[in-house]
Amino acid sequence: MAVRPATLPRPTPVAGRPFTLSGFLEREGIFSWLMLGPGVLFLLAFVAYPFFYGIFLSLEERRVASEGVFVGLANFRTLAHDAVFWQVTRNTFFYVVVTTVLKLCGGLAMALVVNQSFRGKNLARAALLLPFIVPTALSTVAWMWILDPTFSVVNWLLVRAGAITTGYSWLGNASLAMWSLVAVNTWRGLPFYGITLLAGLQTISPDLYEAAAIDGASTVQRFLYVTLPVIKPVLIIVTMFSVIFTFGDFQLIYALTHGGPANATHVFSTLAFDIGMSAGQLGMGAAVALAILPALAVLIVGLTFYLRRE
Amino acid sequence: MTSTRRQFLATTAVGVAGAAVGRSRRAEAAPKSMTVARESSFIKPFDDYFVKTLAAEYEKLTGTKIVYEAVSVGGMLTRLTTIAETKSGPEMVGTGVNWPWLFDQSLVDVSDIAAEIGKKIGPWHDNVLDAVVVNKKWKALPWGNIGQMEVYRTDWFKEVGVTKFPDNWEDLLAAGRLLKKKGHPFGFELGHGFGDNHGWLYPLLWSYGGREVDKDGKTVLIDSGETAKAVDFCRKFYQETMFEDVLAWTDVNNNKAYLGEQISCTNNASSILVVAKRDFPEIAKVTDHAQNPQGPKGRFHIMQAASHAIMTHAPDIPAAKAFLRWLYDDKQLHRWLTAGEAYYAPFLHAYDNHPMWNPEPRYMPYKDSLKTTRLHGWPGPPSHAMSESVAKYVLVDMFAKACRGDSTKDVIATAASQLKQIYKAK
Repeated sequence: MAVRPATLPRPTPVAGRPFTLSGFLEREGIFSWLMLGPGVLFLLAFVAYPFFYGIFLSLEERRVASEGVFVGLANFRTLAHDAVFWQVTRNTFFYVVVTTVLKLCGGLAMALVVNQSFRGKNLARAALLLPFIVPTALSTVAWMWILDPTFSVVNWLLVRAGAITTGYSWLGNASLAMWSLVAVNTWRGLPFYGITLLAGLQTISPDLYEAAAIDGASTVQRFLYVTLPVIKPVLIIVTMFSVIFTFGDFQLIYALTHGGPANATHVFSTLAFDIGMSAGQLGMGAAVALAILPALAVLIVGLTFYLRRE
Repeated sequence: MTSTRRQFLATTAVGVAGAAVGRSRRAEAAPKSMTVARESSFIKPFDDYFVKTLAAEYEKLTGTKIVYEAVSVGGMLTRLTTIAETKSGPEMVGTGVNWPWLFDQSLVDVSDIAAEIGKKIGPWHDNVLDAVVVNKKWKALPWGNIGQMEVYRTDWFKEVGVTKFPDNWEDLLAAGRLLKKKGHPFGFELGHGFGDNHGWLYPLLWSYGGREVDKDGKTVLIDSGETAKAVDFCRKFYQETMFEDVLAWTDVNNNKAYLGEQISCTNNASSILVVAKRDFPEIAKVTDHAQNPQGPKGRFHIMQAASHAIMTHAPDIPAAKAFLRWLYDDKQLHRWLTAGEAYYAPFLHAYDNHPMWNPEPRYMPYKDSLKTTRLHGWPGPPSHAMSESVAKYVLVDMFAKACRGDSTKDVIATAASQLKQIYKAK
């Protein structure tokens, strides 16, 4: 028999009782809207309005400080014929897919390690959060020095270790530049996965592991048939959030390469900024920014349906 | 409850009426304060002189406080976009490149002040009109050009037998070959920065006779033999004098590399020497400037005309005009320019032989280059399309791709295809 959640009895108006403000506010219908109101207003003002305004802009030829002219899907058609846009699309998907896989695997490994009992466990957990806590603009400056051809500590270590004779150009070489950005994004995003998955791991009852061990399950089997199924919902939610954040990543790329060399690291967010802000083509800039919407929508709807089915 | 609502409505109505009355009264008197938003200068004494001296003098004179909003370097266009879109904020703004064209509808016509200044301490340099005169109306008052010159190490050049800075690109290439062999490569930005890349690549293209677009702003001219020569030279120049990292450099990198004694020559504003004088005096002693080398079709420089404009939303436009009139009076103008250590080369002929150039003769190329400065898309009009081409780094990437090894034919074809789309060429 399904158990229905308990509900508070709705106060019934008593005939002849005088109207009071507190009585009015205590009504469930009013009170719940009062509680929801600020959040809804916030979302409307800072999420819904910019989002729909962005869609509206993308359908206009709208130059900065000028009136817009409705052009329908013309901006999207122009982008479809722009070689740079397609290069940016490829770059963005590469960046998102590779960093997500690395963060997922690395974050899971990190969570499994810090879920063990060892001396200094709490300190280690706190330290792992550092990349996530430090403001991106600040940590990126440190990475600029780390990846600098002359002052690079990575090059210094590799040369001293005898692995290479001269330092690599981490940001000047098109391939290395993208992989460098992937590395920095992974470094910054790992703690998000690690800590969230750790929270998921800690909800697993030790009884399950004990039962599996009694049944003769190996460590790998326990991970595959006990750990993974239990943390799967958390894993999916974390991945969904991470993909959304990574698609919109701007600061890191803007500060390190600004999309260079020769567009090798240009992604949707940096291209949208350049077209919208630097070129003053707000309509086209909005169209570039919205180009990620279909991919994100498919991902979010797909994962949400999957979660509901589970 | 009813009475409270009534009280609230009454209070609001009184408040709104009061604000309206107050506003109309304020419009009659001198405003209490006005704000100027402009990109902060690399030269700290320049910003300080405005805040501590000029603004204080003006407040004493008129009672109007002038607030100086220094926007971080490279961020002024974004700030200006916000101001223009929201129609609020600073009454006066700093502009650059072709921004008066982009923000035409948000800027006040200042032709009257420009004519007065031109009459007193002019005439204005003809080429700057391209940047600030929109449909025959002055939309900004040029302050000075932030020139991009060759900055080089005199001691290292002497070591390889070059005592005078090479006058043409081929000779500079020859010097660069020798210097790179000695461990002193060149470092010219080829990445997605905002100034130091365009600062030498457009002049290089022009000096070989290449053009992005024709005067009509429709006919794309990039696919030419002249462009091919410039691209071939650039590839050779990069491969034989530089190193790979320059392909991703933004505007901070060449300053850092020069002051870190990593490179012997770059293209930059005078900020390297200014910082060297302050923090690295030994490097400052062996640093000098020169105009860009010339190519087969002449010598060119990029125009970055720092200017001042008035926003149409300014509540008291006459007061803003009065301030700019005062600021551009020679009594104030020369003092602020001098405080800027010649970082800004004024587009006024009265300053051709002005004492502001005397303290540091090494800044003279910034003055001498004025007559050969051109806006980025020259000879095309300074249109929105020009801005789009610059923002998409079409020219920069054409050269950068050639430097990393792509064929001349391919990089020009890609650039031509992009430019045809941008300029809506038929």
